[in-house]
Amino acid sequence: MADIERYKTPTSLAEATEILRAGNVTVLAGGTDLLPQTQAGRVHFQPTLMNVRRVPELQGIAEEGAVVRIGALVTITELLESALVRGRLGILWQACDHFASDQIRNAATVGGNLCNASPAGDTLVPLLALDARVVLAAKPDGAVQTRRVPLAEFLLGPGRTCRAPTELLAAVEVPLPPAGFAGEFYKHGTRPGLDIAAISIAAGARRDGAVLRDVRIAFGAVAPTVIRAPRTEAVLEGRAPDAATLAAAVHAALGEIQPISDVRASDWYRRELIGNILKRVLTHACQM
Amino acid sequence: MSETLIGKRIPKMDAPDKASGKTRYIQDLEVPGALHAKILRSTQVHARIVSIDTRAAKALPGVHAVITAADVPWQRPIGVGKDHLPLKTDRVRSLRDEVAAVAADSEAIAQAALKLIRVEYAPLPVIATTQQALAPDAPLIHPEPHGADSSAHLKVAGSPVAFTGKPDNVAMTFDYAQGDIAQGEAEADVVIEDVFRLHYVTHCCMGVSGVIAEFDPNGNLLLYSNTQVPFLHKREFAELLGIDPARIRIIQPPIGGGFGSKLDIYPFEPIAIFLAKITRRPVKLVFTREEEFLASPTRQPVLLKLRSGCRKDGTLTFRAVETVHDNGAYTSWGATTPFVMMQTISSLYRVPHCKYHTMAVYTNNPYAGSFRGYGNLQATFAVEAHMDKLAEAVGMDGLAFRLKNAQDPGEITPQGMHFKSCGFKQCLTTAAGRSDFLRKQAENRARWSDPAPVKRGIGVASMLHVGGGAKIYPSDGCGTILKLDDFAHVTLMTGASEIGQGSETVLAQLVCEELGLPLSAVTVVNNDTDITPWDVGVHASRTTFIAGNSAIGAARKAKKKILDAAAAKSGKRAEELGLSGGFVTSASGERLFELGKFLRSLHFSDKADLVMTTFYYEPPSRHQDKQFKGDVSAAYAWATQVCEIEVDTQTGIVRLLKVTGAHDVGRVLNRLGIEGQIEGGIVMGQGYAITEELRVENGVVRNPNFRDYKLVTAPEIPEMDVSFIETMDGEGPQGAKGVGEAPAICIAAAVANAIHNATGVRITALPFTPENVYRALHGASEPPVWNAA
Repeated sequence: MADIERYKTPTSLAEATEILRAGNVTVLAGGTDLLPQTQAGRVHFQPTLMNVRRVPELQGIAEEGAVVRIGALVTITELLESALVRGRLGILWQACDHFASDQIRNAATVGGNLCNASPAGDTLVPLLALDARVVLAAKPDGAVQTRRVPLAEFLLGPGRTCRAPTELLAAVEVPLPPAGFAGEFYKHGTRPGLDIAAISIAAGARRDGAVLRDVRIAFGAVAPTVIRAPRTEAVLEGRAPDAATLAAAVHAALGEIQPISDVRASDWYRRELIGNILKRVLTHACQM
Repeated sequence: MSETLIGKRIPKMDAPDKASGKTRYIQDLEVPGALHAKILRSTQVHARIVSIDTRAAKALPGVHAVITAADVPWQRPIGVGKDHLPLKTDRVRSLRDEVAAVAADSEAIAQAALKLIRVEYAPLPVIATTQQALAPDAPLIHPEPHGADSSAHLKVAGSPVAFTGKPDNVAMTFDYAQGDIAQGEAEADVVIEDVFRLHYVTHCCMGVSGVIAEFDPNGNLLLYSNTQVPFLHKREFAELLGIDPARIRIIQPPIGGGFGSKLDIYPFEPIAIFLAKITRRPVKLVFTREEEFLASPTRQPVLLKLRSGCRKDGTLTFRAVETVHDNGAYTSWGATTPFVMMQTISSLYRVPHCKYHTMAVYTNNPYAGSFRGYGNLQATFAVEAHMDKLAEAVGMDGLAFRLKNAQDPGEITPQGMHFKSCGFKQCLTTAAGRSDFLRKQAENRARWSDPAPVKRGIGVASMLHVGGGAKIYPSDGCGTILKLDDFAHVTLMTGASEIGQGSETVLAQLVCEELGLPLSAVTVVNNDTDITPWDVGVHASRTTFIAGNSAIGAARKAKKKILDAAAAKSGKRAEELGLSGGFVTSASGERLFELGKFLRSLHFSDKADLVMTTFYYEPPSRHQDKQFKGDVSAAYAWATQVCEIEVDTQTGIVRLLKVTGAHDVGRVLNRLGIEGQIEGGIVMGQGYAITEELRVENGVVRNPNFRDYKLVTAPEIPEMDVSFIETMDGEGPQGAKGVGEAPAICIAAAVANAIHNATGVRITALPFTPENVYRALHGASEPPVWNAA
């Protein structure tokens, strides 16, 4: 049985980080991962359960200079309803459109999705492709301090991040991609919604005449974390996406992934899908 | 004349409460003083139980009882095979096996107590496949009599106290033959043989399993139960407890889905009763969803070898079938699905020579029960694949080939089934015509070599199923008590249980049709064995047919009684009178008496009388003989379904786009109800074909949750075009036949044929999940092989 001794509802980032500093805290935001995980016994509640939903600093989507700052408490529904996200961060918006169900999207937060660090996490794949970084807040000696960590460094393994127990993920910052950047998010599951990705791909680029520039590719569910595919990007960068280039890109991608076999797919099938779908997604992207 | 109710669109009587969340399911029932029970299941797939230590659990505050087999030495084997003790004594045979149980003040305390029970196991070799089970040196699943000290209890009178064990791992065998198979082979110009593999799925009822058991001070047992067979289970529970069945009352709260899953007794029910007996308190036991996946029955997985032949002109000459059923660790109804499978093999199409052999084999897997369609999905999958292949081999189109071999009205098949009404050929031509089957089939085929990765396909399959009950017991009857009160309100007491299929609405409708009353005049009582008359249970698509005829019989008796009295009072002849619009009417439609007033006048007259009637309907069907021959049903239902699909050859994703169905339903009684039942059945068939699979690996269920067990979701549901072929069955209630199971049966077969039409690849193993299909399309799968020699 769960042994929650205290329930805290901080109303400021300072208060929240103070509570974290005292230690032994479980952070609750949307609860869509936390509750099933605790009920299944995979995660155990700490003595203090802290609901951060009332912390104003964790809210809101804002464009600040060339960066979009998305507060950790922004829900998937809010991302879907944001004109800024839809207009400038298209692959993130598409991923939200594949995310679970309406009910879960209303509760689940982007911060929670990041901290859950699933190798198949739907928003993680486009955020990684978009060079996002997370903002971690702590209060080590009386004042709130923040540090920024690139998403690729934040994610350490399945369910593991570099967030210290005394830190709170406050926001994710996404540099605005260059003008003309367009892409596609593809999630392969066995049904249209309410599914965990067997593989996912976020791919985007900018057309410069016949060739591709600023190529960004990330994969989900084919490695211990979501991963960028730098060698695949390099194959495509500055090239026209003809059949030979696409074949070379697939070859590179298959060298960058390390899929496993589990209840959702075999490693063999995941490799086949990455090859087939990468070609399909890039072909679409080039038609835009 | 008032307008007829037959064929109208009538909302189900229970729909408003269910849609608004007011229905009180067993989960919602609070019995004062009830304890909450939980079951400790095995952590081993196959093991000897060395020791069980319950001391710490018993010491937990709030725990009232912790029991193991040692506490109930008088327990008896349960289930269809009587090979299954509710609490396991010396060994566990599957991961679902019940080792101990707790009754406590709350579910949370009971759950905490489970964690304090220490069980020591000595692992035994796991038999994960039927092939392993049939190996010459295979360990035995049931090597010796069960029971803590079964030798003593074997001597107790009554039903067997201990299962005597099995010298091999074969639970049951079935053999059927008609004609001369060698002659059939000799007469064939084309012979084909394939092996098919059918997978595990489970019912996924929205309402999980549950029971509340309560003894009164006199030792009478009251069970709140979701059972589909209350009357037969009274006897089983009585045998189990060694008490008089008359002392057991079963009340069925509204049941959140059955689909066959509640046709047998399962260990949780006796365990709740044991705990109630020991604690002298009411005990409530309700499954978690995970438990529902792990410990409720499955559809039977089958390996099937089919050999078929026909002449050049397309006439079928023979069919030979061998199957091996994975029985799981215990025997429930799943083992008996061959009864239905052999009907499809022998009689869906005219086949003069047939041979059928089945073994149900014990393994350490979950055990299979009854599930909507009952073996027919598996048999139809194989038979309809061969209909396509044979047609192609002799150069006929699939429709003409099927029409050539389809049954006609009046046929008595070699298995003894008499098709008094039969709309099979109309089903075929209607479904094919409305879907433009032949044109689309040719077009899709012409596009095999197109480079586009997404292909279209169309496929057809048909089915035969009992539609007038199924005489698997000495009786297949149902009783009705009908009571009219002095306000012309009717109480219909029927033995037929409502499990969501809409029976209470259709029965009320049939009664109102006879008595000329609106549906609002009827209350249906159908859930209490102390009140309702006898019935054999909800199964075999029998309720509308059997309980419907029973309700009509009782209503006609009531009508006669009323009209005889009205004749005496009015001086007219009873034959000239009728009941319509709430009145006794004359031949010319004149309203003579308002029915309520007339009934009151009967009550208050010198010769006071009540209008209360009973009727018992027994269908004119026959129990099969020892060779499995006989006309087991009073009517037979037919259907053809055409499925249109899209296959993405780069991912293996199969989308079901449209189902065009034509169903011989006898007659439509409640159009809204039958549409719902058929649409729901199509979706259930779609799940079986494309999305659902209970993943069992080495006896372990890998996906006991709705995240990984994929039920069909709303966006996947196809467009449907369903036609009703009304053959007006002579024995059916108002001409109707049973159709509860029919719509789920041929979807998988039609989808398989559609995948072939789209890609040229024939897949003989289910389900058509993306990876399975992708592997098959790219030559990376292992087709099923016959390994049960």
